[in-house]
Amino acid sequence: MKPDVGTVMHGFFGTLLGEIAPHLGAEYSMGNVGIMGMMMYMVAEEYDRAADIRATENREMRSLFSHAATLVTEPALKAKLSSAAAEKETSLRIQALNARNAALQNLLIELQAHAEASDAGWARNLEARIWDYLVAAAERRKLPLPSFG
Amino acid sequence: MEDLASRIAAYLAHRMPAASGIEVSGISRIHGGASRETFRLRASWQEGGARIERALILRRDPVASLIETERDIEYNAYRAFHPTGLPVPEPLYLETDLQWLDRPFFVMEQIEGCAAGSPFNADPYGPLAEKIGRQFWTHLGHIAAADPHGIGFAANMEEIAPDECWKRELDKWEKVIDEDELEPQPIARAAIRWLRRNPPTPAERISVVHGDYRTGNFLYDGEGNIRAILDWEMCHLGDPLEDVAWAADPLWAFERAERPGGMIAREEALRIWEEASGLKADPVRLRWWEIFNSLKGLAIWISSGKEYQTGANRDPILAFPSWYCTDVHNRVLAHRLAELSKEARA
Repeated sequence: MKPDVGTVMHGFFGTLLGEIAPHLGAEYSMGNVGIMGMMMYMVAEEYDRAADIRATENREMRSLFSHAATLVTEPALKAKLSSAAAEKETSLRIQALNARNAALQNLLIELQAHAEASDAGWARNLEARIWDYLVAAAERRKLPLPSFG
Repeated sequence: MEDLASRIAAYLAHRMPAASGIEVSGISRIHGGASRETFRLRASWQEGGARIERALILRRDPVASLIETERDIEYNAYRAFHPTGLPVPEPLYLETDLQWLDRPFFVMEQIEGCAAGSPFNADPYGPLAEKIGRQFWTHLGHIAAADPHGIGFAANMEEIAPDECWKRELDKWEKVIDEDELEPQPIARAAIRWLRRNPPTPAERISVVHGDYRTGNFLYDGEGNIRAILDWEMCHLGDPLEDVAWAADPLWAFERAERPGGMIAREEALRIWEEASGLKADPVRLRWWEIFNSLKGLAIWISSGKEYQTGANRDPILAFPSWYCTDVHNRVLAHRLAELSKEARA
């Protein structure tokens, strides 16, 4: 698809803020056009990376669960970790990746709470590994914001 | 807008029986009023042999909003603080009868010739930052020092004991996340667990908490004088450090935590606040409120995203924070909580 989605979104961002907004008479409409332009700027980035971010997160969470399944002794949680670790993506559509991502994140919440409450020797390292994952995932999802300063 | 003008004129005639020939003009909706529809307008009328003109602001309840609030709480805050000398607009009329404008609203003085800085600008105040920053933290100190009962703020407000402030606020915003999240929130959930495991010591005193005191929620003039502190819709009684932490949140400073709100250095800001309030910005207690406020931010952005996603309100101002502000607060919390987790396990 040409021109590239990112190029089109950046172009629309410039048109909205540089050409359309100054000609709007209503303050409220100008503000909305500004917000929509900024979100187009973000969409340009998100379109390119969205599938990669979700596939990466899902792969990393499964790897984390595979490791955790060797440590956790609580039977029900251990079984869920093993099961999730063995799953594979069946579709790369964003909606499918999001659904799988949500299921894995729910399990991550359960695992992190379990590790926090444990005095076992493995819990400290597992907790640190979960935080390393969460920090990296949050940084990966950082959205660009055009500066008007 | 013409229909709105005539309806507002009819309302003003109802509230001002001595006035005649009331005209309403120049109605313009202000962008960014995420919890209220905010309109600026000019009203003129004949009274006592003279033609009087006044610039006004009308804040009307929306169909759905970013923050579910009661307009009488916000109006009462203006009414309580206006006589104290704190720069707030003069509140004029509060109306809950739906016959006038379909939804409840209030009317207040419009502060003209001023601007509001944007928290999404790396340098929102330019050369005025130092002057504005000193006033910003002094005013917040004065809010903390005010006697909520003495100024009439506490009337009809839920009382709270110093050791209960943290729990009430945490319970409230956790409930918002429980009800409104559209996808799992591992960082928010970790923050909630940390906050419950590490409760702060009781508030030094019970103060008025503005609830949204930050860059973007006050007006300043060309000389750098703060002329109006706005957006009191989330005000309540509580721990004054809640406001300090919200004002210092990295989101409002383009993520430059060392210069809260893009104004003055954090150390200087806290010193000014302590001097003006007579209270102490205890670092351990402040840290709890900072983590809480990033969580509260997440709750608000999650809620706004739900409003937009479900179609309850398709104002773009609700979609933007659900993307951008969620992203910032997730990163802020992830870094802080990862450090605290490692410290606790060391």
